[in-house]
Amino acid sequence: MPLKSTEQRWGTIAKAFHWLMALGIIAAGVLGLVMTDMERGLAKVSVFAVHKSIGLTILALFLLRLLWRFFDRRPIDEPMPRVQRVAAHAVHGVLYVFMLAMPLSGWLYNSAKGYPLQWFKQFNLPALVGKDEGLADFAIAAHEWMFWVLVAVLVAHVGGALMHHLFERDNTLLRMLPFGRLRKPKKGEPE
Amino acid sequence: MKLMMLALIVGALATPAVAADYNVVAGSTLGFTSSFQGESFDGSFKTFEATIRYDAADLASSKFEVKVDLASVITGDNERDGALPDSEFFDVKKFPQATFVSTGFRQSGKDVIADGTLSLKGVSKPVSLAVTFTGKGAAATLDVATTLKRLDFNVGSGEYADTSTIAAEVKVKAHLELAAK
Repeated sequence: MPLKSTEQRWGTIAKAFHWLMALGIIAAGVLGLVMTDMERGLAKVSVFAVHKSIGLTILALFLLRLLWRFFDRRPIDEPMPRVQRVAAHAVHGVLYVFMLAMPLSGWLYNSAKGYPLQWFKQFNLPALVGKDEGLADFAIAAHEWMFWVLVAVLVAHVGGALMHHLFERDNTLLRMLPFGRLRKPKKGEPE
Repeated sequence: MKLMMLALIVGALATPAVAADYNVVAGSTLGFTSSFQGESFDGSFKTFEATIRYDAADLASSKFEVKVDLASVITGDNERDGALPDSEFFDVKKFPQATFVSTGFRQSGKDVIADGTLSLKGVSKPVSLAVTFTGKGAAATLDVATTLKRLDFNVGSGEYADTSTIAAEVKVKAHLELAAK
């Protein structure tokens, strides 16, 4: 499998970014939902710490992914109506914004509350701002609202991919799967 | 005039140069430093009492007695300040005070060490303080410092015993402004 993307499929690096971040986003989201209802205690602190560590990892992966995009090409879109194409790319654009905005709003909240920020107990990161309760309230509200919008956008993203796979029967999903083999062109289609 | 001179001389003899008993006055602090998730934080006790008798030239008769009101702890974070009096940490309902009573002083090179017993949360263990005493006569300052292992005194029990989140060591520092009694 080539590291770089080709006309037909995503390269190994683009796939790795996609699936690592997918796992990270799901894990961070699930932990985020669970942790706020936990009883006060060190277990809660630890789950928050893992949530934050994953968030920071997503932020770092996002920056690397953005960088990689400048070196890598994108596969050509599968044939589809213009509306679908525009919608798919809009969803991707919004996801990119969230991959940056979710970790940053979390970091901002953490900073404004004056909490420490440690990456998997390995090293600490600085606060973005000083203690500020008003800013903390804003940042956490943004973090939570964006989360629910993100859920909706992800439903569209995953739903779109599945629709292409199950109904259009094209390569949209297959070309992103780690070991996916592309479908043979349908009869009458060019190779 | 002669009488006054006599009185002064007698007075000076009666209270030998030791003048070693002091009251702790305003400007005194008792604080500590620990770390949580890799970030250090400072705390202090707003309320404590200390009985200090000290003379660098007469360590044998020197004595420290300190009582700390544990509920008066502040660390600059409401959640932490709310948790510290709980049973997992200081357990102030059962053990409202911590005490340090010196058992002896010794010279260690240039430094003076105060050995004593710290009683905290129902545990009494020997603790040694590094002593820095400056000033003479009526006013003096006394700085003491030591490092404690919080788990020696069960501070942070149960799940809070995890030292990868809450550091094992706590640096304790006191700065006392003293006025001779």
